[in-house]
Amino acid sequence: MSAVALRPPELVMRLARLGASHPTRLSFLRLLMRRAAQERWRVRRARFELDDEGYGRAVYAVATPARAYSLVAFSTPLEDERRTDRVIAQAWDTSYALYDGTPDADEVARLQANAPLQEAGRFTQRDLVLARANKSVRLFQAVVDALARGEQPDAEQLANVGYLMRTTAVYGNGKFGIADRDEIASRPELGGPFQAEMLTVWLIRSFTFDLADHIASRRNPTGAVRLARPLRRMLGVGNATGLGMAPFLVRHPVLIHNWFCARETALARVRALPRAAERQAAAFLRALDEMRGRVAHWRTVDPRQAAAILGLSADLGALAREAPAILRGAPLPWDALYRFAEERLSLEGQEACVALLLEPHGALVDDLAETMTADESLGHPIDGGMTCGALRALIETRYAWARRIDFAQPAAVARFWYVSADKLEPRLGERFEEDGAELEQPLATARDALALSAALRREPAEARLAEFLVRHPEWRHVARRAQVVAKFPYAEICDNLIGADLRPVDLLRAKLAFFGARNFDPRSDRWLRIALFAGEPLIEEIDAEGALGEAA
Amino acid sequence: MIDLSLNEAETLAAKAARGAGFSWGLADEIGRAARGMAMRRQAWGEALLALARSADALAPPDVARIARWRRGERDIAGTRPLCPVRTAALLLDDAPSFAGKLRIAHVGLPIWLDAMLSRSAVWTADVGEPLATGDVIVRRGASAARPAGARRAAVAPQTLAALNGYAARTYVPESERSRARGAGGGRVDDDQ
Repeated sequence: MSAVALRPPELVMRLARLGASHPTRLSFLRLLMRRAAQERWRVRRARFELDDEGYGRAVYAVATPARAYSLVAFSTPLEDERRTDRVIAQAWDTSYALYDGTPDADEVARLQANAPLQEAGRFTQRDLVLARANKSVRLFQAVVDALARGEQPDAEQLANVGYLMRTTAVYGNGKFGIADRDEIASRPELGGPFQAEMLTVWLIRSFTFDLADHIASRRNPTGAVRLARPLRRMLGVGNATGLGMAPFLVRHPVLIHNWFCARETALARVRALPRAAERQAAAFLRALDEMRGRVAHWRTVDPRQAAAILGLSADLGALAREAPAILRGAPLPWDALYRFAEERLSLEGQEACVALLLEPHGALVDDLAETMTADESLGHPIDGGMTCGALRALIETRYAWARRIDFAQPAAVARFWYVSADKLEPRLGERFEEDGAELEQPLATARDALALSAALRREPAEARLAEFLVRHPEWRHVARRAQVVAKFPYAEICDNLIGADLRPVDLLRAKLAFFGARNFDPRSDRWLRIALFAGEPLIEEIDAEGALGEAA
Repeated sequence: MIDLSLNEAETLAAKAARGAGFSWGLADEIGRAARGMAMRRQAWGEALLALARSADALAPPDVARIARWRRGERDIAGTRPLCPVRTAALLLDDAPSFAGKLRIAHVGLPIWLDAMLSRSAVWTADVGEPLATGDVIVRRGASAARPAGARRAAVAPQTLAALNGYAARTYVPESERSRARGAGGGRVDDDQ
C-alpha cells in the first residue's frame, strides 16, 4: 500500500472548513452504537410511572457485559413562556440523569428532588450525566394527536424537524457534583470520548417516543396506536448548542489533536488503497445515496447555511455522476475521488466526501476510535531548558499561518471571550464597545502566540525559557501551548478566534460533527440546532443480529 | 463539609488563583495541584484560600538565587517569602539545570511547593509546617507513592464561599447589550 500524506493542519483546522464538518463513522455516537451492537447491550424500561398528561418518572436500564446503567427521566409541567432553548433557562419539560448502576427508591427520590432543578440541584458520584430536554411543542402535539386518532403522523413533517424533543444541555465530568470523568475513564464501555453523554442522549430518544405513545394511549385507550418503528428509527434527538461549547476546543488541545488526527489518518488510509473492491464501491454509492436523501430534508433558517446546503446537494449530484467511473478505472481510486472533491466541490462537499470515503471502510479505520481519548496532562510539562530562540523559531514555524492576520487592525481583535458573572457561561464581547476586555479569557491563540514571539525577540536567543517564564509568568500558557502544538499538530485552530468575522457556530459544528450530529441549523452566528441519533438503531433493536445494518 | 467533584475543585482552584492574580498558566497548574491535594485528603480549600490571600506578598525567585541553586550553593533568603508556585514551576520547567538537592530558604506556604512538585516524578519536597513560611529541602527523584485515593474534594462552606469570591473576580458582569446577543437559544416552538 502506498502512503498518502495526512491533510496538513493548516488546511484542516481552518474555521471555514471546521464549519463544514460532517459526522463520520468515527463520530462518537457511532462508536457507542457499534459497541452496544457488538456487545449486545440490553435495554429495558424498568419503570414508567407517568400520569395521563405524561408527567412523572421513568427508568431505562441498560445491561452492558460488565456493568448496568440507568437513565432516570422526569417529566414535569412547564408553562409555554418558560420554555426556551437558552442555557439560562430555569425549568424544562423533561430532565434526566444517567445513573451508575440501578437506583433504588431512595436514589430515584433524591434525583427527583434535584434533576428537575439542573444547575441549581446537587448531585453525587453515582450520577454520571445530567441533561434536560424540551418538547418541540407543535410537532410533539401533532404526533400525539395523530397517534390518539389511531393514525401515524405525517412522515414528511417528521423528517423535516427530525426529533420530538431537543436537549438544551448535557453535562458530564463532575459538573454540579456529578461523577468525574476519572470514574468512568477506565471502563471500556464508557471510557471513549463522550460515551456516557451519547448513551444518555440515545436513551432520551426512546423516552421521547414512549412519552408521546403514552399520552396518546391515555387520551384514547382503545383507539390510539404506537408510533411506527420506521418513524421512530428515522427520528433522533434535537439539541441546541450555544457558545458554551466553543472554548472546549481550545482548552483541550491534545484531545482535539487526537480527534482530528484519527479522522485524517483514516482518510489517508482509505486514499492509499490501491483499488476499490466491489463491495466497498457499492457501499460508498449507497452511503452517497442515503446522504443525498438526508440533505434533501436538511432544513435551516440561516441563509448562509441554506446556500451551503444547495451547493452540497449539487456537489453530491456531481459525485454520484463521477464516482462509478473513478472507482472502476482510476489508480488509487479513493484518492482520485477525494482529489476530485478537493478540486471541484465546495467545502461542504469536500468534508461530506471525507465522511463518505470512510463509510465503507470500517475494517480499515474503526480501530482508530481507540486513539480518540487523551490524557491532557501529556501536554502539561513545559520544557524550560529550551532556549528563547528555539521557542521563537518554533512559533514562527507552527504559527506561520497566523502571519496573515494583521493584529494591528481593530477588526482583527474586535471580540473578546469572557465568562459572564450572571450565568458563569462563556460569552463573546465586543472589545471596543463593551466593558470587561481586561478579563479576557485566554482564547486569543494566534494573537498571543505572535505576541509571545515578539516578546522572545527581546531576549538573548540562548537564554533559557524557564528563566524568561519566571520573569514573565503571563506568557506561561502561551509557551506551553506552542510546545504542545509542536508535538500535536492538529491541536490548534489555525484561525483568528477574536476577529470581527468570527462565526462561533463554525467551532460548534466541528465539535458536534465529532459527536455525530447532523442537520446543522445555525440560528445566529453563535448558536445552532442539530439532531443526534436520527436513523440509528432503537433501544429495542440494538441486541438483535445485524442491528447496525452495515456491510463493513 | 461540602463534597465537590475533583473537576469542580480543580476548576474552582484555577479560577480563584487567577482571581488572586496568578497568570493563566500558573493558575492552571494551581488547579491541578489542588486536585492532587484533594485526592490525598489534604485541606486543599484552606491551602488555596491562604495562597489567594497572600499572593501579593509572595516573591518570585530572582536571578541571583536561581544562579545559586544551579551551582548548588547555599541559598540566601529574600526579604519577602518565596512564592511556592513560581518556585515549583521553575524547578519543574528546568529540573536538569539545578543541583540534585537544594535547601530553599524562606518559602511561603510550602504545602504548595510540595503539591506542585508531587504532580511530577522529578522532585521530592520535604516541607515542615505546611502553611508557615520556612525552609524546604527538595531532592531530585520521585517521592514515595502517597495515598491519593479520595475521589471527591471536601471543602468547608465558608472556605468555598471565600474561594468563589476570588473566582468571581474573573467574571464580567453582563451588559444589556451582551444579554441581548446572548449565547444563543430561542423559543422551542419554532421549528418546521
